Amino acid sequence: MATLSNNNIAQAIYLASKTEGRSEQFFSNVVRFLFRRRLLSKAPDILLRLDKIINDKEGRVVAKVSSRSNLNEKMKEELVHALAKRYAAKEIVLDEHLDEKLLGGFKVEVGDEVIDLTIKNRIGKLQEYLTSRV
Amino acid sequence: MSTHHIIESLKREIENFSTQIKVEKVGKVLEVFDGIAKVSGLSDIKSSEMVAFQNGETGVALNLEEDTVGVIIFGDFSKIKEGDEVKATGRILEIPVSDDILGRVVNAIGIPIDGKGTIKSAKTHPIEKVAPGVITRQSVSESVATGIKVIDTIIPIGRGQRELIIGDRQTGKTAIAVDTILNQKGQDMICVYVSIGQKDSKLRKIEARLEEGGAMDYTVIVSAGASEAASLAYVAPYTGVAIAEYFMEQGKDVLIIYDDLSKHAVAYREISLLLRRPPGREAYPGDVFYLHSRLLERACRRSKEYGGGSITALPIVETQAGDVTAYIPTNVISITDGQIFLETDLFYKGIRPAVNVGLSVSRVGSSAQIKAMKKVAGTLKLDLAQFRELEAFAQFGSDLDDATKRQLERGKRAVEVLKQLQYAPVKTEHQVVTLYALTKGFMDDVPIEKIKEFENGLVDYSERNAKVFFKEIKEAKMWSDKGEEELKKVITDFKTSFSN
Repeated sequence: MATLSNNNIAQAIYLASKTEGRSEQFFSNVVRFLFRRRLLSKAPDILLRLDKIINDKEGRVVAKVSSRSNLNEKMKEELVHALAKRYAAKEIVLDEHLDEKLLGGFKVEVGDEVIDLTIKNRIGKLQEYLTSRV
Repeated sequence: MSTHHIIESLKREIENFSTQIKVEKVGKVLEVFDGIAKVSGLSDIKSSEMVAFQNGETGVALNLEEDTVGVIIFGDFSKIKEGDEVKATGRILEIPVSDDILGRVVNAIGIPIDGKGTIKSAKTHPIEKVAPGVITRQSVSESVATGIKVIDTIIPIGRGQRELIIGDRQTGKTAIAVDTILNQKGQDMICVYVSIGQKDSKLRKIEARLEEGGAMDYTVIVSAGASEAASLAYVAPYTGVAIAEYFMEQGKDVLIIYDDLSKHAVAYREISLLLRRPPGREAYPGDVFYLHSRLLERACRRSKEYGGGSITALPIVETQAGDVTAYIPTNVISITDGQIFLETDLFYKGIRPAVNVGLSVSRVGSSAQIKAMKKVAGTLKLDLAQFRELEAFAQFGSDLDDATKRQLERGKRAVEVLKQLQYAPVKTEHQVVTLYALTKGFMDDVPIEKIKEFENGLVDYSERNAKVFFKEIKEAKMWSDKGEEELKKVITDFKTSFSN
C-alpha cells in the first residue's frame, strides 16, 4: 500500500466534510480516525494543509502584509482590490505585521510570491546597481 | 576630485536608476547540511535553475519535490541559516564566457581564481546543453598530434574523438594530458584543462609548467579543488565543456581534458546520497552513466555547413589496482571511442609512457592519421603484440630459430624507440623518420642501449640532409619514391658515421 501523505489526508478530510457537513460528530470522527491510524502527531501539518485546501477551494487568499507602520484604511482597500484582481480571488484576508527594519513602504507575501515595495529592498537594489557598473 | 563632484556624479547615477516592481518567488530554508539545502516554497522553479541565498551565495535546484526543493550550494554553506530567504532567479545555471578567458584559471562557475582581475564578458552560456545532433556532425578525419610517439603511431587520436586515459595512480595519466596540451602550440587548437578534486599544489605545478611551455596562451584551466564543495566538482566538467563549446561555435578546434572523472562520479555520488536519491551499484546513483554520457557526447566534430570546429575530449579515469571492471571505468570505456591504458608494471620497468599497447585502442583515430604515419605504424602494433607473446615464451628456452630471434630483437628496439621523456613532445615528421628506420630494419644491428642516441642523432641528421623527404611529408603527408630513396641514403650514411 502506498503511504498516505499529509496532503492526501487533508484532501480526504476536506472532501468528506463537503458531503457529511461540518458537524461535531464529523470532527470527532476525524479525530478518531487520526488516533486509530496513529496520525495525531502529524495533526498540525495536516491542519495547515487543510487550511490551504479550504482557502484554495473557496477562493480565499491570505496575504501577509509587512510594513513599518499601520496602513490606513484606504490603502488597505486598494491593496485588497488589486490582490483580488491579480489572484482572481473572492476574498482577500490581510495578515498584517509590523517590522521596523523595513524603513518604509510595505511588502506583500502570498504563498511563495513576494511583492517587495519596501525602502529597504530599494536601497539594496540601488546598492547592486551602483556597485555593478564598474 | 572634490566632494562636490562626487556627490554630483552620484546624483546623476541615482537619477538613472529605476526599479521595476516585480513579483518574486521566494522560499525559505528548512534545513542546511553538507552543502545541501532543503527549501520550502519556490513553486514554479525549474530543474537546475539557479537560486540566490540571502547572504549572496548561489545554488542550483536539483531535487524538485512535492513541497520542498533540494538545492546544492556553491561555496560556503556555513553562513546560511534556517529560515533564510531564497530567491529563484529564473535562469538555468550558466557561466560567463569571452575570448579573454584564455590563459586564465577559473573556478567551476566561471569566476577567475588566479588573481589576475575580473574577466570581461558580455555573453553567458548554459552549462547543460543537449549535444549536437547527427545532422550537424561529421566523421573524424583530422588528427590531434599529441607529440607522444606511442599514441600518435599506435593509438592515434582524431579531432572530435573521445579517448579515455585510464590507469592506476602514479602511472602518468596527467603527464600524457599535459604533454598533449604542450604539443598543441602552433597547431590551431584551444585547450581546456578541467581539474576535478585535485590537490591545489598539483594544479599549481601544472599551471606553472604550461606557463613555462608557452601553452597558457591557448589554454583555460577550470578548477574544482579537493577542498571545495562537491557541488563545484559536480559542475566543473560541464563548465569546461561550455567554455569549449563557446570556442567551437567560432569554428575553432578545442581539446578538453577532464582530470579526472572518477572523482567527478564520487562528488556526484555524495550529492545524490545527501539528496536521498536511492543508491545503486557501488552506492552510485542510477543516473551515473547518464552523468558521463551526456558530458562526453558533447565532444564532436561539426560539419562545415554548421560552422565547423570540434571538441576532442580526453577524460581521465583512475583505477584501483588495475581493475578496469569497476563501475565507473566500464561505463566510461563504453562511452568513449577508445582508451589509453597505463600500467604500473610497465612504469616501474622503465617503459614510460607506460602505455599497454595490447589493451589500448582507438576506434576512430586511424582514419585521422596522415598517410605516411599509417604506412610506418601499420606493422608496428602487430610487431609489438608478437614480441610480447614471444618474450614470455623465450624466457623458458634458449634455443631459438633465427626468425624468432630477429623478431625478439626488433620488438626490443620498438619498445626502446617508443619510450619518451616527459615534456619532450616529438614532431610528427620526426616520428615518421624514426619509425621508418625501425620498421625497415635499419636499427636491427644498433645495440639496444644506444637506440635513444641513434634516434636523436638520426632525427637531427636527416632533418639537415633529407630535405625533399621532409618537404613531402609536410605538404603531401606522404613520401614519393624520390623522397624515400633520399631518406634511405641519409639513414645509411648516418649509420656508417654512427658506428664509427
